Amino acid sequence: MSDGGNEESAREIDNVIDINPAISRSGANEFGRAIAKIAVAQICESVGFESFNESALESLSDIAVRYLCDLGKTASSYANSAGRTECNVFDIIQGMEDFGLLRGVLGASEAPNCVIESGALREIMDYVESAQEIPFAQPVPQFPVVRARKLIPSFLQMGETPEFKQIPDWLPAFPDPHTYRHSPVWNERVTDPRADKIELARQRRKAERSLLSLQQRLVCNGDVIASTSTTEPHDSRLEMQPNASENPFLAKPLQAGEKDVSPVILPDTVRNQADGENHISLLEAFAPAIEAMKDGPSESGHDVEKTLPDKRPAVCLEFKTGKKVLGDLLDLRLRNRGSGRTASWFGHNDEKDDKKRRAEFILRQSMENQQELTQL
Amino acid sequence: MNATSQQQGQGQQQHPNIEGRHDDDAALSEFLASLMDYTPTIPDELVEHYLAKSGFQCPDVRLVRLVAVATQKFIADVATDALQQCKARQSAVIKDKREKQQKDKRLILTMEDLSRALHEVNIKIVLISDNIQKSSFQDDPIVMMK
Repeated sequence: MSDGGNEESAREIDNVIDINPAISRSGANEFGRAIAKIAVAQICESVGFESFNESALESLSDIAVRYLCDLGKTASSYANSAGRTECNVFDIIQGMEDFGLLRGVLGASEAPNCVIESGALREIMDYVESAQEIPFAQPVPQFPVVRARKLIPSFLQMGETPEFKQIPDWLPAFPDPHTYRHSPVWNERVTDPRADKIELARQRRKAERSLLSLQQRLVCNGDVIASTSTTEPHDSRLEMQPNASENPFLAKPLQAGEKDVSPVILPDTVRNQADGENHISLLEAFAPAIEAMKDGPSESGHDVEKTLPDKRPAVCLEFKTGKKVLGDLLDLRLRNRGSGRTASWFGHNDEKDDKKRRAEFILRQSMENQQELTQL
Repeated sequence: MNATSQQQGQGQQQHPNIEGRHDDDAALSEFLASLMDYTPTIPDELVEHYLAKSGFQCPDVRLVRLVAVATQKFIADVATDALQQCKARQSAVIKDKREKQQKDKRLILTMEDLSRALHEVNIKIVLISDNIQKSSFQDDPIVMMK
């Protein structure tokens, strides 16, 4: 059985029922309609039809639903007339009689003394016996599905006591004051720009100190060559100008030598051109660090903590714009990390990866930029 | 069966022949019992839903089945009338053009046949516009009751 080909397009019967707002749009209604359509199609098929027009099928199913509703209304009105709320079989039979009278039922002209003799009922009985039983094609769930509503919790459930004495606590609770009263959106915090700047400077100093200790540790591991005096005093670096804005990415670029950074170890070729100060070769300085990373988490780091030299070798840095140097890389890392992490640098395995990466980066940089460095 | 007897006691009409009443009661009871064996094509859940919407309240499944069977019979009657209309039209056509006999063997439920069949039940189908069709129960005071 299939729906016959038809030029009329399928339409929504919901648009049609404007005269009856009781049968309004609802999910259960559409579901009911669909099921009625299937049932009606099955009935028609048993009668003898082979295919249907879509519009005809919809109209017939609509009529079936209305018949159902009207029968129910008639039966309930009869029950109400008799002073009952629940319907019984006689109410239904009388309803059927009413419908049957209009159709023309055999024996309808005789007013039945007993409802059992009603012609309509007899017809039904005959129908039940004669017609073949066609059960509905699909299993139909119980509908409409009632979803458990989320109720407003009562005073008791919320653990509140109502403010007014006349309100019992099993009633739903009042809504929170912020829903109907204007309340501040955020905490009003007093901003002290000076204190912020001091805090920022303090964090930077901490970062520099830890970076310095790292560099010293690396130097120590490689059998420290006697370090010359540092040209720049350590303290001067502390008096940095804090940036006006909090955003580190919008901060003013630092001048050369302003920030404590790890020294860029120049390769041998450049060393020859140095002004007499000792330089440590890149590989020598970082060899122990590289070895330490290869070995895994370094315990050696703890041993050498006490033997840090006071001074560090002088560094001659020349910054070219647009050129990446190790210092910049470390600088960003420091800024992003903040002060909290620096203390635990030597304890974490992921830090080892960072150091490894940095060491490799330095090596790569020096290899690549050897020619450019000679120009310094 | 006891419940049925009580129901009968409530709405019972006076019958001079008490013997006949018992027979009729028995017939009704039997019929309702037989309904349980017969599964109507219209599923019970659908019937229950629409009956609940109209204010019909009854916990008894047999009454629900009774309503379902009544509706099924109604639809079957309408469909039978439409089928007769369709066949009549086909036979009229075949008289004129015999070559179409092979093609029109399929029986299709069309709006035209349906509206003619429904006219017998005093249901009028009115075409409002090309896209919307409206069905209304006209000349049917009881059915139109809301």
